[in-house]
Amino acid sequence: MVRILYIEDEREIGEWVTRDLTERGYQVTWLTSGEGAEQHARQADVAVLDVMLPGLDGFSVGKRLKREAPDLPILMLSARSAVEDKVEGLSFADDYLTKPFHPEELAARIEVLLRRTQKFEDVLMLRHLKIQLQNMQIIDTRTGEEIVLTGKQYHLFQYFLRHLNQILTKEQLYEAVWGEPYLEGDKTLMVHIRYLREKIEQNPAEPQIIETIRGIGYRVRR
Amino acid sequence: MRRVFRSLQARYMLIILTALVLMQVGYLVLSIAMSLGLDMQDLKPTESAVQVEKEWHEAAGSLAEVSPEVIRDLFAAWKSRYPEASMFWVDGDGVLREQTAGREGEIPTQWTAVSTAQFIKSRYGGDPFTVIAFVGQEGSGGFVVIEMPRAMFDPPIMQVYDRFGTWVAIGMIVIVVVFILISYLFFRRIRKRLTQLQEAMTLRDVDGLPVQVELSGKDEIGQLEQSFNEMVLKLKVSKQREEQEEQLRRELIANLSHDLRTPLTKIRAQAYTIGKEEVSSDGRRAIEALERSVVNLDRLIDNLMSYTLLMAGRYQYNPQTTDIVRLVKEHLATWYPLFEKEGIEVDADLQPLRQYEWRVDPLWMGRVLDNLYQNVLRHARSGRYIQVTLTSAEQYDAIIVSDHGPGMQSGQSEERGAGIGLSIVDRMLRGMDLDWDIQSDERGTTIIIKRYRK
Repeated sequence: MVRILYIEDEREIGEWVTRDLTERGYQVTWLTSGEGAEQHARQADVAVLDVMLPGLDGFSVGKRLKREAPDLPILMLSARSAVEDKVEGLSFADDYLTKPFHPEELAARIEVLLRRTQKFEDVLMLRHLKIQLQNMQIIDTRTGEEIVLTGKQYHLFQYFLRHLNQILTKEQLYEAVWGEPYLEGDKTLMVHIRYLREKIEQNPAEPQIIETIRGIGYRVRR
Repeated sequence: MRRVFRSLQARYMLIILTALVLMQVGYLVLSIAMSLGLDMQDLKPTESAVQVEKEWHEAAGSLAEVSPEVIRDLFAAWKSRYPEASMFWVDGDGVLREQTAGREGEIPTQWTAVSTAQFIKSRYGGDPFTVIAFVGQEGSGGFVVIEMPRAMFDPPIMQVYDRFGTWVAIGMIVIVVVFILISYLFFRRIRKRLTQLQEAMTLRDVDGLPVQVELSGKDEIGQLEQSFNEMVLKLKVSKQREEQEEQLRRELIANLSHDLRTPLTKIRAQAYTIGKEEVSSDGRRAIEALERSVVNLDRLIDNLMSYTLLMAGRYQYNPQTTDIVRLVKEHLATWYPLFEKEGIEVDADLQPLRQYEWRVDPLWMGRVLDNLYQNVLRHARSGRYIQVTLTSAEQYDAIIVSDHGPGMQSGQSEERGAGIGLSIVDRMLRGMDLDWDIQSDERGTTIIIKRYRK
């Protein structure tokens, strides 16, 4: 079970978030201040911190947690929405969410953090595809056969999986996979996406996995 | 007294005074050098013109006999005394009888009363110094004339000038050169110090303020340096105060934001909890309205804070060359899921622009687009359509955001606001030197952001 270290001094919000995350299947350790939080750092899979805490503020607590457990993903949860605060928070934390947040968004962001550190799940089901995230083995569940991708297709698909549900522009995809600036009119990316679709889609003419968002880019949705 | 000599003005006056004294001392030294080191033996003693005139009259008048021999003897005696003098004798009949050597042909041989008068007139007060004396007691022997260069009557110093003029001139030049050199050194030092001060004034510390300079003296420049240091100190204090105020302002805004948003989070938590229970359709609608109000209020708080910062000129602005096509595309990509969720069709027509590199702050531009998209979500959801276009016109490149909502003046928007979102848009766009225009009617609203090509 995924363990979440949650620090929040507001009782009502703390109770609500703890209840919601517990209902979603997480094991939540809720503290009302940053005192002694380091002791829980090693046992947690992800930490969610409020910024304005009594005593040590959330930024200081977060930095201490990172020192104690550098791999622990930290999500700052704050009512402070100024750019400076976000920048300060993101100097050590992995994500920053402002209040009033929606519990769905909080859960989604926790999921992203866990996925990034491979602690959430090992297997991802995507339509008819079963993907082993550890070794990126892709199995077509209809036939039970493994789909083998070429180097560029593999990088492209992995980038999509790392940014599930996000719309990625052609520029973002090209620069992430090819490591070079995208030149307007370059067809390389489109060609590779076509080949990738031919391998992973049931019907490449009506793609279900890699969506085209007209005029903007592409998206892989769960 | 010491304070007086710290002054540059006093020092310069001292230099001028020294130069004047030096000139006088130069004269003195020159005179001493001449009297001691130079051969003054051949300098003639001063002759008195009056004395010469008197003696010439006496010598001519006392001649007992008038004969060429006697006259010749007289001339010889005076010639030996005054070698530079020339003499001639005109007898009682006006005939030139004798003259000293060297002036033959110059003197008329026959003298009349008129020519004599003309001669006297031409020599009166002139050079050579001329004395005409009658020969003998009665003057029947005619007259003798002696002519001597007036320089013979000059004081010895004049003779010194004549003889050592070059040395005197060299001495004067040396004094003037020394004066110019001292003045040059004096002003060079002043210039150097002023240049150093000017350079120090352009240096900036890590806080962006000038650096204090080391005092180079107690004169006027030193005082200027001291005043500069005091000014820097005041600026530092002022900057510190400003930073403290800025910190306080940030704290205030952060606290205010916290104090307003924490209860909002609680309201949302309660609404969410109730929403998970079984509620009637009216109850469900109430919860949805509550949720929307929370979102709108959150947005309003954010806008209010931003507007306050913008009005106070405290909203961070970092312009940079930005690929606007890319920015608009990536920004729209983040909003797409929201529009999709609300059932709003997104029509993205993001063509390359003629000039796609705009000098803007990407965060400001993102904020502008956020506010415009937010407005579509809040006020034009019923139109179920948003179009984002990038286009190049004759004179400008533009971003166009249009919707099929009921229009701004219709009053049909579900949530009317004070327009603070658009005020922020206006202020930020103007801050980035961009023009914008809004057209709104019952068929929808179109906002066009223009950047005129330079």
